[in-house]
Amino acid sequence: MEHLNSLIFSLCSQFGVSGFEKDISGFAVSRLSDYMDVKTDNLGNVIGELDGGGIHILLDAHMDQKGLFVTAVEDNGFLRVASCGGMDIRVLAAHEVIVWGKKPVLGVVPSTPPHLVKEEDSKKATDISEISIDIGMSKDNALKLVKPGDRITLKSPQFKMLGNFVCSPAIDNRAGVCAILRCLEILKDKKLNCRLTVLLSVQEETTGSGAKTGGFSIQADEAVSVDVSFAGAPEIPTEKTGEAGKGTMIGISPALDYAISRKLEKIARAQGIKYQLEVMGSKTGTNADHIQNAGKGAKTALLSIPIRNMHTACEVISLEDIESTAQLMAAYILERGVKRDA
Amino acid sequence: MLEELKTLCSLMGVSGREKKVRDYIISQVDGCAEYSVDALGNLLVFKQGRNRAANKVMLAAHMDEVGLIITYVTDDGFLKFAPVGSVDIKVLLGRSVIIGDNTFGVVGVKPVHLLKPDEKKQIPEKDSLYIDIGAKSKDEALKSVQIGDVAHFNSDYIEFGDGLIKARALDDRAGCAVMIEMIKNEQPYDLNFAFTVQEEVGLRGAKTAAYNICPDYAIVIETTTAADIAGVEGHKRVCCLGAGAAISFMDKATVYDKELYDLAFEVAAKNNIKIQPKTAVAGGNDAGAIHNSNGGVKTLTASTPCRYIHSPSCVLKKDDLNETLRLVNAVAAEFASR
Repeated sequence: MEHLNSLIFSLCSQFGVSGFEKDISGFAVSRLSDYMDVKTDNLGNVIGELDGGGIHILLDAHMDQKGLFVTAVEDNGFLRVASCGGMDIRVLAAHEVIVWGKKPVLGVVPSTPPHLVKEEDSKKATDISEISIDIGMSKDNALKLVKPGDRITLKSPQFKMLGNFVCSPAIDNRAGVCAILRCLEILKDKKLNCRLTVLLSVQEETTGSGAKTGGFSIQADEAVSVDVSFAGAPEIPTEKTGEAGKGTMIGISPALDYAISRKLEKIARAQGIKYQLEVMGSKTGTNADHIQNAGKGAKTALLSIPIRNMHTACEVISLEDIESTAQLMAAYILERGVKRDA
Repeated sequence: MLEELKTLCSLMGVSGREKKVRDYIISQVDGCAEYSVDALGNLLVFKQGRNRAANKVMLAAHMDEVGLIITYVTDDGFLKFAPVGSVDIKVLLGRSVIIGDNTFGVVGVKPVHLLKPDEKKQIPEKDSLYIDIGAKSKDEALKSVQIGDVAHFNSDYIEFGDGLIKARALDDRAGCAVMIEMIKNEQPYDLNFAFTVQEEVGLRGAKTAAYNICPDYAIVIETTTAADIAGVEGHKRVCCLGAGAAISFMDKATVYDKELYDLAFEVAAKNNIKIQPKTAVAGGNDAGAIHNSNGGVKTLTASTPCRYIHSPSCVLKKDDLNETLRLVNAVAAEFASR
């Protein structure tokens, strides 16, 4: 698990807010190149290919993270911002951030001191439109480093917790990228009888454009998308979540291929890979929705890694769930890749 | 002074657990002055000056910081807690904390996707919060954490912007750093220093420290809220970064001696030190306990302006810290000699 721990922390340390995934993309290309031929497309998707002949299987994980945009530099040097992907505004007060300007610039989201907050507003989070970030500089100095359009990420330390739990920003969805890299490592010395394509996609947190265009150009027969999903925690009804540390979550949804979902379950059970089912009544809210109906369409499944505190800078997962996700994908590819149209 | 401040901000010292901070300060002042530790844990330091003081002057800064205390462990291994001191719930959500010496945790939040529309802007109730340390059960959690352990914010000391510092616990390690600097340097008059405990839970240490020292004059060296952020104008800013030490005329615990208040501005003008009034009657500090001690003590508070106080990301300006040091040096000599 040490190896997975260092890989997930490296992946999560790369900057890559939706639409500006250059750093994480460069890192992903270098890691993916250990296993396959790699190219990037017009939108910035990283695509790896390994042609063993036979059925064409796609593995997808989005590599972008949510963040903020700089929209303006105020006269006092503070930065006005907008969301880039869904932010949880409740966690922003007094949060450290990095502004990805000409160089990384530290900032703090102001928290309004209690004496300036009206009683009725004391339990309300501040809207993004009312936030202006403190980078401790005059406007002139700020403008030398920062301009509108620059991305901002929440800053928080990475650390190991008890057992195999780890905490970091951007685990959504570097955990998915990590699971795919681990899957390729498992498959490294195996003879594949399928055509395997990996899509590390951009812009999932905003529009899903990476999966839409990547899915269109790849046109696989079958696809497995990997993302994170809700893990149980106090105050959350257990029927709405999986459990962290209890294995990969196999998605079952009207928008996913039911046969593949059940096949994944069957393989997991047969091989003793820890899993749990995640049943949804509609679309999944992940790249799977886009890949399924891109171009001629692909039979699509979804594996999710349970995560706590999703969309904060302190996302928590169990490394064991990355491992079981990787194991299940690898087992599926080995079993599925025997002959076309099996 | 900044090296000392950096180390001070790396040490855990939630109210009632100030030992690490105290031990470090002792390591710094040992050999420069005489010291003792009282029953509550206050570190009392006597610094001999070149001259005997006409008046006994006490300088005070508190060693403790706000934090959390673990009250309960749930069956599934999550920790319940109570705030220690005044902690705005907002700054805890989804934030990393360190329990005891080396157990890392996160104050959990419900994923925003599972919230009802009106809950998305609502800060959760204090009692609903918990810390996640990755334990799968109560037993596993209790191997790393005990009920009664304290937790502090996980936040580094970083210099940034135009000469600013971001760290946790700048309130009041900044004041401690100023006093260490004074003790390490030669003083014109004898001075008494109190590094106090438990300020954040009701000015408790300062009460016995003041009793033990029994001063004629006191100067509390603090940090205070600077609300000089976008959208806040005029007196509501309380004080501003870059404008020097902030002097209080009144806060929630003390009505300050008018003569000393005026004197601080005179001394600053004479020595070309940056100074500003604290323009709000807000907060409270060890002055509340000290000015009421014994038969009464004339007391002044000089604060370094600090944004986002009591959060993981306190921000102050290095220049202001230097101006605070210069002012306190000059005012202490004035009090000691008058």
